[in-house]
Amino acid sequence: MKLGGQTDVVPAVETFEVEGHIVDSLILAKVLDLILDAAADYRLLEVDIGKTSTDTSRAVIEITAVDDATIGRLAEQLQVHGVNPVGAEDAELVAADLDGVLPAGFYSTTNLPAEVRLDGHWVPVEHPEMDCGLVVTVDGPDSSDRTVRTLPMHRVRVGDRIVVGNQGVRVQAPQPSRGLSAFEFMDSEVSSEKPKGLQVRQVADKVRAAREAGSSVLAVCGPAVIHTGGGPDVARLVRGGWIQALFAGNGFATHDMESNVLGTSLGVSVAEGAPTEGGHSNHMRVINEVRRHGSIAASIEAGFVTGGVMYECVRAGVPFVLGGSIRDDGPLPDTMANVVEAADRMRELVPGVAVALMLATTLHAIATGNILPAGVETFCADINQAVVTKLADRGSHQAHGIVTDVGLFVRQLADELG
Amino acid sequence: MSALTWGHRYLMCPPTHFGVLYEINPWMHAEVAVDLDRARTQWEGLVATLRQAGATVEVVEPDPIAPDMVFTANAGIVNRRAGAAPQFIPSHFRFAERQPETEIFASWFAAQGFEVDRLPVELAHEGAGDALPFGNGLLSGYRFRSDLPATTSLSRLTGAPVRAIELVDERLYHVDITFCPLDDRRALCAPMGWDAYGRKVVEALVPEPLWLTDEETLGFCANSVVVGSTVVMPATPVRVGRILEGWGFDVVTCDVSEFLKAGGGCRCLTLSLDVSLGT
Repeated sequence: MKLGGQTDVVPAVETFEVEGHIVDSLILAKVLDLILDAAADYRLLEVDIGKTSTDTSRAVIEITAVDDATIGRLAEQLQVHGVNPVGAEDAELVAADLDGVLPAGFYSTTNLPAEVRLDGHWVPVEHPEMDCGLVVTVDGPDSSDRTVRTLPMHRVRVGDRIVVGNQGVRVQAPQPSRGLSAFEFMDSEVSSEKPKGLQVRQVADKVRAAREAGSSVLAVCGPAVIHTGGGPDVARLVRGGWIQALFAGNGFATHDMESNVLGTSLGVSVAEGAPTEGGHSNHMRVINEVRRHGSIAASIEAGFVTGGVMYECVRAGVPFVLGGSIRDDGPLPDTMANVVEAADRMRELVPGVAVALMLATTLHAIATGNILPAGVETFCADINQAVVTKLADRGSHQAHGIVTDVGLFVRQLADELG
Repeated sequence: MSALTWGHRYLMCPPTHFGVLYEINPWMHAEVAVDLDRARTQWEGLVATLRQAGATVEVVEPDPIAPDMVFTANAGIVNRRAGAAPQFIPSHFRFAERQPETEIFASWFAAQGFEVDRLPVELAHEGAGDALPFGNGLLSGYRFRSDLPATTSLSRLTGAPVRAIELVDERLYHVDITFCPLDDRRALCAPMGWDAYGRKVVEALVPEPLWLTDEETLGFCANSVVVGSTVVMPATPVRVGRILEGWGFDVVTCDVSEFLKAGGGCRCLTLSLDVSLGT
């Protein structure tokens, strides 16, 4: 099972070429059979079939196997049949000449696992993340001393050696799933017409598997989690040790604490669902008091906040990042108004994450999707199916959508996980 | 049904320096002595048989450094072209023992007015021993003596399609021990020598194959020479002989047992000089 982009074994990929009367001699058929017989897989990148019986044909075959040794053995076998590796070239590196600016023609990353060829060796990219550059650092004379990692544009420093162009960079295409779990057969479309109980159980299984494997679960929450009464259930998940990091905004944290302190979420009673008198100012009063304490942790320490998601996070030492926005009230002292810094802080918490739960939030889900490697199992629960579509449209193809009321979803999930 | 357009003119090399002096196929055993007188007699018998069947035989001077020169089928690929000098593509031999033959034959053909075209130096291909005309091109064997990519070069040089089939039995190390064109629709075919893909290629290529049993194959009966309606065989299994005669061929068995000690039969001892590819 794929768990966490960092722990994935990146399969070996090599490109080969075969030319001649490979169609009527059945050489191509034989070569493809040999590849499959070796438990490897292939993609035909190019096939030029000769037009007349005297024209030769040519095929470019990308072979994927579990490791380089398998490809090496297969390459020897295939050489007899005229199949030769297509010469791969090292990646081109250009030193950055300005802080915060990538060299022109920089390689722009995807969130898929990738490798960069340096001195004839393929070096895996650390922390796959989309829309970044690739920086190469040299720690010693050997090729094993080189590391390649993704680098957001604003973190570029003069002299950083950045990969330019596509040469010497190979990306692992997402592996087609062999099994047929509920999500695989349901991913044909994002729809509200799915068996919710089954979906929740599947998510619970993934969360459990991630924790058993020592990986982390990330929750990304929108204020609707609190509005729909899901706060205590998310708090239960944190308390139960099912969540290792929380990304949210000023609103989520505010309403979580408002519901704890005053029993309302944006002035509406969480217990009775009715607006309370003067409730419109409740959240402002809570923000104000937390600001007086200096931080969420301090307000909990002082006994101002006595329960809820933020409370459980502070108690359990679960790190959280509250990303600010231009419409934030207050904001809370913990809310990071500098969103570039907030994104960097989120990046620090991503390594080790195997499952991400996006709960009723569009902006934070997309922001998180941008920094997650494709290997992270991402579940997006929202009443609006457009959120999942948006996430996928922005490149987070690994996102599975569950169209449902988030309050009911987190309750069921917390019940499943116990 | 029409007879082969080639096979009426052959190049042969007398066995003056012939012997099993090294072992480069499972048939060769250096301790087995060749009776040179007998070899000479058998070779002359084959020449006479071919001439009697209506073929012309030309002879190349043997060279003592190349004892296997007697197997002229491996000299290279001959291609007579309309409106151009005939083409000769000398073989590149897998084993060092036979490599001196390349330049000997290249010089002979150049002296006869052939244009000599070359395969890439790094690729082995053992000439007509591993490539026989059928249909609109050549059927070429690969693995033991010839490299598959060489067939792509052959196709480029001759302008004819070259279908490559994989040989899988070391005893049948050249395609001419497994395949013998009889006319434009028929051929002796020894599936024992080919992999499953090769068998399918031959099934698609040859409208009326005469499938040989393993025993018939190992008797070298596919290593025969066809001159019009005469089939000259190193050994004639009764079943095969009957079928060929039923098809209207005259079958002549020609004893070449001294040469079989080196893994070569009638076909190996001859190189057809009148092959015209791509016509």
